[in-house]
Amino acid sequence: MELMPNFDLHRPTEVEEAVKLRAETDGALYVAGGTDMIVNVRRGIEQPAALIDLSSVQELQEIVEDNEGLHIGASVTLQTVTNDRRIQAEYTGVAEAAAAVAGPTHQSYGTVGGNLCLDTRCLFYNQSEWWRKSNDYCMKERGDICHVAPGGKRCFAAFSGDVAPTALIHNAEVDLVGPNGRRRVPLTDIYRNDGMNHLAIEPGELLTVLHLPKTEAGQPSAYEKARVRGSIDFPLAGAAVWLKQVDGKVEELRIALTAVNPYPQLVKKLDKFSGTKLDDSALDEIAEMVQSQAKPMRTTTVKPWYRRRVVGAIARRLTAKLSEAR
Amino acid sequence: MNENMPIQPETVEPVKSVGVPMPLVDGPEKVSGKANYTADFIEQDALVGRILRSPVAHAEILSIDTRAAEALPGVEAVVTGIDFAGQFGVLPIARTEWPIAREKVRYRGEPIAAVAAIDVETAQKALDLIEYEYEELPAYFTAQDAMAEDVSPLHEKRPNNVERHVEYDLGEVDKGFEDADLIREGTYDCAEVCQVQTEPHAALAAYDGERDRLTVHASTQVPYYVHLMLEQTLGMPRSRIRVIKPHIGGGFGCRTECLHVELIAAALARACKGTVRIVVSREETFITHRGRPEQKTSLKMGMTKDGRITAVDATTTQRGGAYAGYGTVTILYSGSMIFALYDIQNARYNGYRVLTNTPPCGAFRGHGTVNVRFAFESLMDEMATELGLDPFQVRRKNLLTAPTFTANDLMVNSYGLPECLNIVEKASNWKKRKGKMEPFRGLGVACSHYVSGASKPVNWTGEPHATVNIKLDFDGSLTILTGAPEIGQGSSTILTQCVAEVLGLDVSRIRIVTSDSLVTPKDNGAYSSRVTYMVGNAAIDAATNLKAILTEAAARKLDVQPEDVECLGEIYRAGSQDQGMTFEEVVYAALEGTGTITARGNFDTIPESWGGDKYRGAAIGGTMAFSYAAQVVEISIDPDTADIHVEKVWVAHDCGKALNPLSVEGQIEGSVWMGMGQAMTEETRYHNGLGITGNMLDYRVPTIIESPPIETHIVESNDPHGPFGAKEAGEASLAGFLPALTNAIADALDIRVSELPITPDRLMEIMEDRKREARNADEQKVDA
Repeated sequence: MELMPNFDLHRPTEVEEAVKLRAETDGALYVAGGTDMIVNVRRGIEQPAALIDLSSVQELQEIVEDNEGLHIGASVTLQTVTNDRRIQAEYTGVAEAAAAVAGPTHQSYGTVGGNLCLDTRCLFYNQSEWWRKSNDYCMKERGDICHVAPGGKRCFAAFSGDVAPTALIHNAEVDLVGPNGRRRVPLTDIYRNDGMNHLAIEPGELLTVLHLPKTEAGQPSAYEKARVRGSIDFPLAGAAVWLKQVDGKVEELRIALTAVNPYPQLVKKLDKFSGTKLDDSALDEIAEMVQSQAKPMRTTTVKPWYRRRVVGAIARRLTAKLSEAR
Repeated sequence: MNENMPIQPETVEPVKSVGVPMPLVDGPEKVSGKANYTADFIEQDALVGRILRSPVAHAEILSIDTRAAEALPGVEAVVTGIDFAGQFGVLPIARTEWPIAREKVRYRGEPIAAVAAIDVETAQKALDLIEYEYEELPAYFTAQDAMAEDVSPLHEKRPNNVERHVEYDLGEVDKGFEDADLIREGTYDCAEVCQVQTEPHAALAAYDGERDRLTVHASTQVPYYVHLMLEQTLGMPRSRIRVIKPHIGGGFGCRTECLHVELIAAALARACKGTVRIVVSREETFITHRGRPEQKTSLKMGMTKDGRITAVDATTTQRGGAYAGYGTVTILYSGSMIFALYDIQNARYNGYRVLTNTPPCGAFRGHGTVNVRFAFESLMDEMATELGLDPFQVRRKNLLTAPTFTANDLMVNSYGLPECLNIVEKASNWKKRKGKMEPFRGLGVACSHYVSGASKPVNWTGEPHATVNIKLDFDGSLTILTGAPEIGQGSSTILTQCVAEVLGLDVSRIRIVTSDSLVTPKDNGAYSSRVTYMVGNAAIDAATNLKAILTEAAARKLDVQPEDVECLGEIYRAGSQDQGMTFEEVVYAALEGTGTITARGNFDTIPESWGGDKYRGAAIGGTMAFSYAAQVVEISIDPDTADIHVEKVWVAHDCGKALNPLSVEGQIEGSVWMGMGQAMTEETRYHNGLGITGNMLDYRVPTIIESPPIETHIVESNDPHGPFGAKEAGEASLAGFLPALTNAIADALDIRVSELPITPDRLMEIMEDRKREARNADEQKVDA
């Protein structure tokens, strides 16, 4: 096993205390389930002087239901989300996504907040210190070049969370708490298309709650990811679909993708299907639109060609499935 | 059996052990977490050893400066290549590897220095302080590049980077092709794969400076080879070395040769006159490698209309990595085994083992046979389809008849393959279902085989192949002493069962001590499926000798001739009316005058099994017995994602006699499963020689979700020389999975897959190409 470096471990019990510690401690990082971050720490990708462990902050572990909808604390585990009957029934895609993350052990540790804030991934980045050093590092971490697209100026590391696309199609919002207080923003606002810096969160801000609005509840939604193995693997490509139909015709269709870009993205221009019937030609067109908006690069051992192709196929079949469901 | 209970001789019978499904004798320790593996021996004074590895693939080392590292407080020893007295390597003809690189590095990750320090942080700091200069040389990452003209050789003695070219031409190959009704050719590519055993490599070395003695615990399949290589690389008399193999978390061949880890730990321990523990990471375990090479096989086959193979011509090339390792043996196995499963008289073979700037390959389960078996069974199946023949029919048309010798002089005394075929054909309901499956579903079949130990050992010493001692003392318990390494395959259980069976005793009377050079007899190791056959026979011999001693003692006491004594296990008696003697009484009688008894048993192979001499290296493949297997794989394919789902596997394995049907079943399932990993998901890839899949996320071993229902059937052909008729059980069922899968894909999609692993991206590409071709053909028709 790789060397675990020394760091100070803080275990606050209140959100404010956590945020304060983070602001006051040089080189501190938040850690929730740690299933992804601790691997990165062992590999020297993250070298935190201190970790602020959120596992004792009670507030972050609650799911609250009210007239507005469901409010899922950031430390709620993926296993809890998977098994929550309200989420299964009203926000089906979210429960399916949580159940699709890695394997059961990871799901029992991994959290909603951690999965939403997951670091982007790349074959040239998620390697040991010796490996990255031998390969002259990369622009995402200590180096200058991109091994995926040499000569390019951008980082193409892929966002690989499963929960985010399903939250996006339910028009989710999140709470962010920072030194300057609490703000509530649409989930889509915390992501940007930059593999090096894909989270549009202020330094020190902590994502505390995922809000799933009542208005979006109960419409059929679904999530599926392509992967080589049925467990453990990060998505090679993933699609989440939300569909509202009236009289057999589309009223609104939302599709979000993961693992095919540096950020989870809502597929654009789907409003053209409003009022149409989802027949084979419409479904083919949906598949093509999805494919054309997915821009996977050589960040995994599996060919980008396949990931683009399969994300279209998955979006198509999920849409077809949902259209038949009601 | 309770020793205080009076025994009723009329009800006593010898206890049956062989053929009885029983849990492994070391099971309780393992399932309760009490078993100690090498990394679990944490001596209080143990220093942490850590290895500095080369960042470049091929370079001349100009200088290494370790002074700053040595000066760091807490650092007890630093060693580099110059601290070793000799090179190592498993084959006496190819000891070309330094435990730590000297003068040149030849692959990314090769050790260039190592330190021992009081803790891991200090050890890492010390590695960071080591300075080195090197001049890079051209590096070759494919066999093709390494064999090109005007290359810079990795090793002086191999100017064209070919470690070994094997060539033979048996029978009349050209005439065979003339006699064929159909001739087809194909090229088959298999990616490099790694064993990914549960336990990463580890070693604990303790050097006693007062007495100049060294004790090494190593996670190895071959403690005897480790012993020899410690002697060779440290320049230390073998009498001062002790090697212990604790519990092992799997090997599958990556530990069938001595590795750097144990040699470096020992050198560090000697340098600081202390104890050094090295537990390497998963990535370093991948780098240490010794897996199955990337291999390209071009095959040409001739067949008559009724499916008889008239001639075969194969050329295969293996990317062997930077050092010889087992390479020569691997390329020889590919050649000796590819045709010997069937009755084929006309065969030509060219095999190239190539040196490249990648980590050295080794002897992976099914050593040398798996990738060529994929090629052979694929082409055979394709030709059968073209001729309108059933795949079972074609295989039956080419079977051997035992006893016989194959065209390359391999001895076959038992041949259960026909029965294996019958069983899986029936169990899978093949006749009713083949060719009548729903769309995107398919059935495929393939056969495979493997040796039960290589009949000629790597190190020829004149000693028997195997020696087992059984100690019997005043307490009436038996202790089997064997060097045979239990590595999770169940060998200790099998040896215990063999001894118990001969003596008619319950296994609970027997304990076993394995693989400690201080107390156990030397053994060549756990590889080429030799232990059950060879050491099992030695155990039977030892138990038989012990039984003779006990019978003679009983005869003395009962005042009869030894041949009149009947052994019932717990009772020895002179006739059915006799009360007889209890086992304890017999033991006391036997110990009179001699004291503690050690009975010895040996096993040797017979010259007929040594392989032929029709070509150089023809002895490789020679074995006392071959095991055989046939399997049917049923799959479904997701047309959207090109995911292949294995619905079910039916496998029949001829292991001669199942000494322990429970562990035989486990071995067969494990083999099928490992074949499935290689066929579908596993692949070691490099980025300019830097292993890019050196972790368990990117190197995709199947999970339990991928594990199909495996219906195992045991075929017992009772080999005349096997221990109670037994043969190999742990390897043969691997190779068949690969072609059975691709043959099933052909059944489902009419697509012949020739590149493995067949991951979804590869399959979808082929499916799309096929669709495009069909569209183009349609358009051309319309145009016409």
